[in-house]
Amino acid sequence: MKEIVIISGKGGVGKSALTASLGSLLAEKHRVLLTDTDVDAPNLHLAMGTRLIDFQEIAASDKAFIDYHLCSGCMTCVETCRFAAIIAVAQPVIMPYSCEGCGACALTCPEQAIAVRPVVNGRINIYATSGLSLVTGQLAIGGSSSGRLVDQVKRRARQEAENSRAEIILIDGPPGIGCPVIAALKGADYALLVTEPSATALHDLQRVVEVAGHFRIGMGLVINKADIHEVSRRKIFAFAAKNRMDVLGEIPYDISVPKAIANGQPVVAAYPDAVSSRQINRIAEALLDAVPVMT
Amino acid sequence: MTGDLQSEVIRAFHRKDFTTPVVGITGGKGGVGKTTVAVNIACALADRGVRTALVDADVDGPNGAILLSVELANPAAVDITVPQIDAERCNGCGDCVRACRLHALFQPRGKYPQLIGECNGCEACIQVCEAHAISRGRKQVGMTYLSRIDGLSLYTGALIPGFEESSVVVQAVRERAFADAEQFDLILVDTSPGAHCNVINALRGADSVLAVTEPTPFGLHDLELILNLLELLELGGSVVLNRADLPGDRKKIKTVARQHSREMIWEIGMDDLLARSYAAGVPVVREYPQAPSSKVFQQLAENIAATYGI
Repeated sequence: MKEIVIISGKGGVGKSALTASLGSLLAEKHRVLLTDTDVDAPNLHLAMGTRLIDFQEIAASDKAFIDYHLCSGCMTCVETCRFAAIIAVAQPVIMPYSCEGCGACALTCPEQAIAVRPVVNGRINIYATSGLSLVTGQLAIGGSSSGRLVDQVKRRARQEAENSRAEIILIDGPPGIGCPVIAALKGADYALLVTEPSATALHDLQRVVEVAGHFRIGMGLVINKADIHEVSRRKIFAFAAKNRMDVLGEIPYDISVPKAIANGQPVVAAYPDAVSSRQINRIAEALLDAVPVMT
Repeated sequence: MTGDLQSEVIRAFHRKDFTTPVVGITGGKGGVGKTTVAVNIACALADRGVRTALVDADVDGPNGAILLSVELANPAAVDITVPQIDAERCNGCGDCVRACRLHALFQPRGKYPQLIGECNGCEACIQVCEAHAISRGRKQVGMTYLSRIDGLSLYTGALIPGFEESSVVVQAVRERAFADAEQFDLILVDTSPGAHCNVINALRGADSVLAVTEPTPFGLHDLELILNLLELLELGGSVVLNRADLPGDRKKIKTVARQHSREMIWEIGMDDLLARSYAAGVPVVREYPQAPSSKVFQQLAENIAATYGI
């Protein structure tokens, strides 16, 4: 089983749209499981025209709770907390959004009035599309520990993949370079990087390549909207060459892509003859060359 | 989980010791134009003589400086505490190992504990060590910068690639700007995409928030998520609909905005001059003040100035 993660650093460069199209193309030849680890703002299910078949609440976040029957109001916890998560009002109040669940406050409370307990911080959704299953994570509003939720999503995805004897898990990653991205990369076989020709996208690409580099896995690059700025496009090629990274393909700006998204379909399904679809077909082939899959 | 929080607590969460208004710019979905909106409003305000600070709190991918073509300057390190264990003093009791909920400490049999995993700097180990054998070591996880350009002060936070402590860096850059608040008439805070701790920490202390989105199903879905979060944090404000003529459903965007008491929607249509200035790293309000998008940014700036009596 091969795990391929699609990341970009910068958000909005086309990760989910590309994942949807690659997923449906790879599924023509292989058993594929799709996974969405952008738990803050999961969009892959919208790009696929799916229906929800199952979900599971996840408590992958720890929070401190104060028992006010025992609390003396001494505010030792307020001074202990390194995350400014406890606010001194009339009594100390824990702001769950900032609480890391480290339990330092519970250890220092003279009245032993504080306990750390797991709380629900999101859910895992299982969707079905024509011939494909999709496992996604969804962070609860105001929930934290998105990295740990990603760990749970990937664990479930691996189970599902095992059950369905999937050969490829194709993972839509989160934007950024922080803990959810690191969690998405853990255990992956290959990182497919998506970028677009702009100074900002290249800047963020460089940062995420640095992170992915720690994992010593194969990496390949796709340039989306490749024709919007030639100078930046050339800089991306220079960056790829310097880092010995293959450019698996380029997708020109194509209105068919947002049109397909508006219809809830991958562009390769909605407009198979569109210029973007033809390029994505080539990218799917290049991806299988880069990540050989046993059948 | 959090629905029963009292407004009093939320007010305490947002409490600050200065009067300069703070406006957040966020959006849920990535790549919808948050930083473009932030940079252009900041420039439009600065050009009106408003002393403006722009905080780039997207510490995973800070791009404000690129869009302003300004060098990062005045660096300051962002550190967290990591335990430094003094073998001479350690009595081998193992209390620190049990206190660490991240399981970052490991004690080989007959030896003193060692830091082997990710430490988030909570100091629980230091709190429980009766032998006072643990001191505060420092680990650098990020940087903050302060750059000045044409009447604008840009505070940038940058996580060092490979570290996980984004929200620590968010807090550091916000606090650096807030410490200088008296020098400014207005502070704008540009957040990362998403709706997790990075965004929440960036919006702490905001007086209102602009939620930027696009009319695609992705933009609609993520707008709803971010507006739910803003309601939880009791933050009002309006919606900016960028790339308003992309395929999608503008009516649904308006319906969602209204359901969340966001009556005002600012629309920015496709604008070649905006795209051109983006690529060149010059804010469109400065390069092409007559461009259609510039007009919207100028109106937004005027609206913010009027709202806060600047």
